[in-house]
Amino acid sequence: MDSNEVMIKIESLTKSFGRIKALDNLNLEIKRGELLGIIGPNGAGKTTAIRMACCILKPDFGDIIINGYSIHYDPIKIKSMIGYLPEEPNLYERFKAKDLLKYFAELYGVPNKDIDGRIDELLELVGMTERRDDRINTFSKGLRQRISVARALIHDPDIIILDEPTMGLDPATANSIRTFIMKMKGKKTMILCTHYMEEADSLCDRVAILNKGRIIDVGTPRYLKSKIHGDVILKVKIQKSVDLVNFQKKIMQFSSVGAVDFVDGEFLISLKHRNEISDIVDLFNNEIISINTKEPTLEDVFINTVR
Amino acid sequence: MMIFFLQLSVLFLMIIIFNSFITNIESDQGISLTPVLNGFASVDVQDQSGLISKYINPSVINVIPSNFSTSLNNIALGKTTGFLYVPGNAAEKIRTGQSIDMIVYLDSSDPKSSVVRDEVNSTAKVISQSYSNSLSASATPQNTTIPTINQVSTGEPLPLQIIKKVMLVILLFLPLLLFGNIIIDSVVGEKERKTAEILIAMPLSQAQIIIGKSMAVALTISLQVFMWLIILLIAGFNINNPLFVFIFIFLTSIPIIGITTVVAAYSKNYKEAGIGLSIVYIGIVGFLIVPVLFYISRKSFLSNISPMTIVMRLFSGESISLPDYALALICILVVSIISYWIAIKLFERDDIIFGPRPGILRLIFDLITFKKF
Repeated sequence: MDSNEVMIKIESLTKSFGRIKALDNLNLEIKRGELLGIIGPNGAGKTTAIRMACCILKPDFGDIIINGYSIHYDPIKIKSMIGYLPEEPNLYERFKAKDLLKYFAELYGVPNKDIDGRIDELLELVGMTERRDDRINTFSKGLRQRISVARALIHDPDIIILDEPTMGLDPATANSIRTFIMKMKGKKTMILCTHYMEEADSLCDRVAILNKGRIIDVGTPRYLKSKIHGDVILKVKIQKSVDLVNFQKKIMQFSSVGAVDFVDGEFLISLKHRNEISDIVDLFNNEIISINTKEPTLEDVFINTVR
Repeated sequence: MMIFFLQLSVLFLMIIIFNSFITNIESDQGISLTPVLNGFASVDVQDQSGLISKYINPSVINVIPSNFSTSLNNIALGKTTGFLYVPGNAAEKIRTGQSIDMIVYLDSSDPKSSVVRDEVNSTAKVISQSYSNSLSASATPQNTTIPTINQVSTGEPLPLQIIKKVMLVILLFLPLLLFGNIIIDSVVGEKERKTAEILIAMPLSQAQIIIGKSMAVALTISLQVFMWLIILLIAGFNINNPLFVFIFIFLTSIPIIGITTVVAAYSKNYKEAGIGLSIVYIGIVGFLIVPVLFYISRKSFLSNISPMTIVMRLFSGESISLPDYALALICILVVSIISYWIAIKLFERDDIIFGPRPGILRLIFDLITFKKF
């Protein structure tokens, strides 16, 4: 498998719903075997973008080329390559778990002789072997999500697209889904839409930040975090009476300081190294209420970028 | 499955209602089928005494003075519904207390003949009553003569013509109109359950989805129509050409499913689809039944545009010409192509499935300008 081969190429993708522009000239490339995270606020266009990749929606303009096929000309071929897990695990309620998987296996054209084995394998993978004969309407949201994962993988797709797979799940179930994603990482090309920054940070090879239908930034989590100017963030909570502008000027004079922000009564100081922390703290003198340091996270990047 | 058998039992119950209705019709207190329509039927009359012309109700039947040979020819050509012969000395005979024999010739294959028969009977009673009253008043009670009418007719009893031809054909087509909810569930249900997203993500085109769902419903309908026909035959209904009747009813189900799918594809939810379907089905039922009634009264070629007319003629054992078949089949084909095309195009539109849904005028505009269609 050539990991540099572009598996998914999004070109100038534009889509409007009425007067609302959901996607605005979106361009993105995803390599074979890569796990790309898409993060963004509500209404950023994440779901619209992945629905187009799954040929569920049609763009007003632009194209998505998947493994050499265009969504305009070869939607059936593209659909057969993709395993899609939608945000809501809506399934046919009256089916039993194994029958639901069989139904979708047949629709995806899985050879009859392979269906039973594939169903057993997937039920094992999502930890639902015991519930194979139970109806969907008896399942909790977590179980539905797990069976949805099995459904999305029934035809052993090359590409897996997951839209908020852990949203609303209890920590244990969410963790089991993340474990499954880790298992698939490198073997399949995956797109993961999520609101959970830690999830994107820990799972994804690269992360794209989407806002108002446009890609704001894209890169590895480390690269994105480095863009907030440092390895460490110093958080200093101070008295309300201080002269903010004056303090900000003084802080910026330190060579290790990359950026300074003041959010909710706190200075957020991005530092390239830790050597000058004590000098900066001295600057505040008796005005400090609390002080601590932290590593920059994707959440910091996200807030910084989307703000 | 449960819905299928519930529908079948409803249809079965209708046989009982149908039979009791016929029993009522055939009884002395039967329901009158005589419509009050000027010029609905006409009767040729040879009546030198002027007795019938004087008493017959002109708002129901046109009375045309004629003679035996001309009238029989007119009946054969469909120009008149019947011929009534009244003896030349009828008035004189009644006055002297003697009975008279009137003869009415009717074409039983013409359902309007029931109207003529009813009206002639009624006229005879009026004449009888009128003379009885006058004779009672003159204190000669022995003169209470009632004119008797001899009917010369061929074919089945007359009221049953309409009942068998119209009501039976309606019964046969009923299963087609009972499946709207299943079509709605299979299309609108995907939107309401939000399973449309995973369905469209399958390696299938929207056309395959719509055709597949429609075929499933069509096959269920065909099974029910087949069972329904068997039940009717077992119950003693005289249905000629049952195989052709079955095929025509099945073919008719295809455009009806198509039209229902259009309503379902456009509707946001069950409630909206239910309202839409009620309105559309009024049109469909009208389109099916009106030509049948028109055929009964006029025997027009254009009446064959309704497959219901063809089915009625098939089970009545009438010979049907090729152009008559062709007209009905072309109608089925054209409506099917148009309705499925619209349903598929609607299902392909993002705004119809995921919203915001455009208005009907907007869709018509898009259709005219070939935008997104």
